[in-house]
Amino acid sequence: MSIAAQPIDETGNGRTPAERRWWLRSLLALVVLIPAALAVMSYDSVKELLRNQDFFATDVAWGSKARFGGSDWQLTDLRAALGRADIPPEVVPVLVDMTVTVGETNLQTLWLSCRIMLIDSAGRRWLPTAAVSFRQTDDAMTCNSAIFSGAKGGDALKIRETFLVPKDATATIRPAVGVASERPGFLLFQRPQN
Amino acid sequence: MMRRIANIAVLLVAALLCYGMQTTKPHYADLTAPIPVYGKIQDTLRTRTFDIAVDKVAFARTLKLNRFGQQKLLTSGGVWAIVTAKLNARDRSTMVAAATWQGPDGLNYRASERVSLAAGALPVALDPGVAGKTRLVFEVLPSQVTGATLSVSGKLAGPLDSEARIALGSVAVQADGLPEGTIETYELGETF
Repeated sequence: MSIAAQPIDETGNGRTPAERRWWLRSLLALVVLIPAALAVMSYDSVKELLRNQDFFATDVAWGSKARFGGSDWQLTDLRAALGRADIPPEVVPVLVDMTVTVGETNLQTLWLSCRIMLIDSAGRRWLPTAAVSFRQTDDAMTCNSAIFSGAKGGDALKIRETFLVPKDATATIRPAVGVASERPGFLLFQRPQN
Repeated sequence: MMRRIANIAVLLVAALLCYGMQTTKPHYADLTAPIPVYGKIQDTLRTRTFDIAVDKVAFARTLKLNRFGQQKLLTSGGVWAIVTAKLNARDRSTMVAAATWQGPDGLNYRASERVSLAAGALPVALDPGVAGKTRLVFEVLPSQVTGATLSVSGKLAGPLDSEARIALGSVAVQADGLPEGTIETYELGETF
C-alpha cells in the first residue's frame, strides 16, 4: 500500500477507506454545490436584469407585421424632419411611425415600460426626446399614452415618437421596440425600402 | 496539557480575528458606493454613461433670472458658484441627474433648488452624438470654494455606477472674504 493511500491526519490516526471515500465524495459535491448555490442566489437578480434590458433582437422585414406583446406591430414610416431653426444643423429630428393592431387588450400589463428606440450600425441607442415636439395633425400618440388609450381588440393605433440623432447616424438607424412582457427580446425593424 | 493550551490559544486567535474582521468591515453603503472617475477642470471625464468637461466656474453675489415672466434677484448669505460643463452621452440616451459641490472641509452642497427652473439645470437628457451642456448653480460658504470637488452622476443614488469627481483647484480670496473674480450679478439667461 502506498503512502498516499493511507495519509496521516493531524490527530495522528489513519483514515479508513470508507472515510476517504466520503471525503472524496464531499469534495466532488462542493464542485457542484458552490456553482449551484451561486446560481440560485443570483437567479432573481439575473431575471430582474433581463427584464429591464433589450438584449435579443428579432428582425422584422419592411412592410411586414410582427406579433409582440399580444399585438401586431408594423413600421410605417421613418423620416427626418428638416428645417427647424432652433436645432443645430448637425442634429436631425427623426420621426418614427408605427401602426399597431391591438390583439390582447390588457395593454397596461403587456406594454408596461414600452420603449421605442433607434439603433444605428455602431450599436448606439437613442430614446425619444422631449427637447423638440411637432404639432400633430393626425391622431398619432406615443407608446406610453397608447397604453392608457383604452384601445379595444382590432383597433389600429398610430404610434409616433420623435428622436434627436446626429447627422452621421441617420444613414444606418433602425427603429426598435421593447415592452416589459417580452424582454429581454425586442423587435428590430428593417429600414423602409423604397 | 500542551494540547489544551494550544486549543485555547487557537480559540483566542480565532476570536481576535473575528473581532478584527467585524470592526474593520466596510459599511454596505461604502461597498456599493459610486465608483469615482477623477479629473480636473477642462479634462474630459468618461463615466459609464456620459462624458463631462467642466468649462469654467464663476462666482457671484446675486443671481438674476426670469421666472414665469418676472425678473427675480436672488441674494445669498454665502456666494453663488456657477459651473458650466459640456456633456455627451456615451452609446445610449441617458440622464445626468445629480451634482454635488464638496468643499475642502467636507461640506456637501447639492445643486441649488432655488434655480431649478433655469435653463441648463439638472436633470439633463442626453442623446449619443448630440452635444449637451449644463449650468450647475450652487450656494456655498465662501470658505468652501478653494480646493473644492464637483461630483456629477447620472442618478440621484447610483450604487456601483460611475461618478465624475472634478477637482476645481485653488481660488484666491479677496479682501472681503469672497473668492477672487466674484461679480456682483450673474444673469441666468436662456443661453449660456
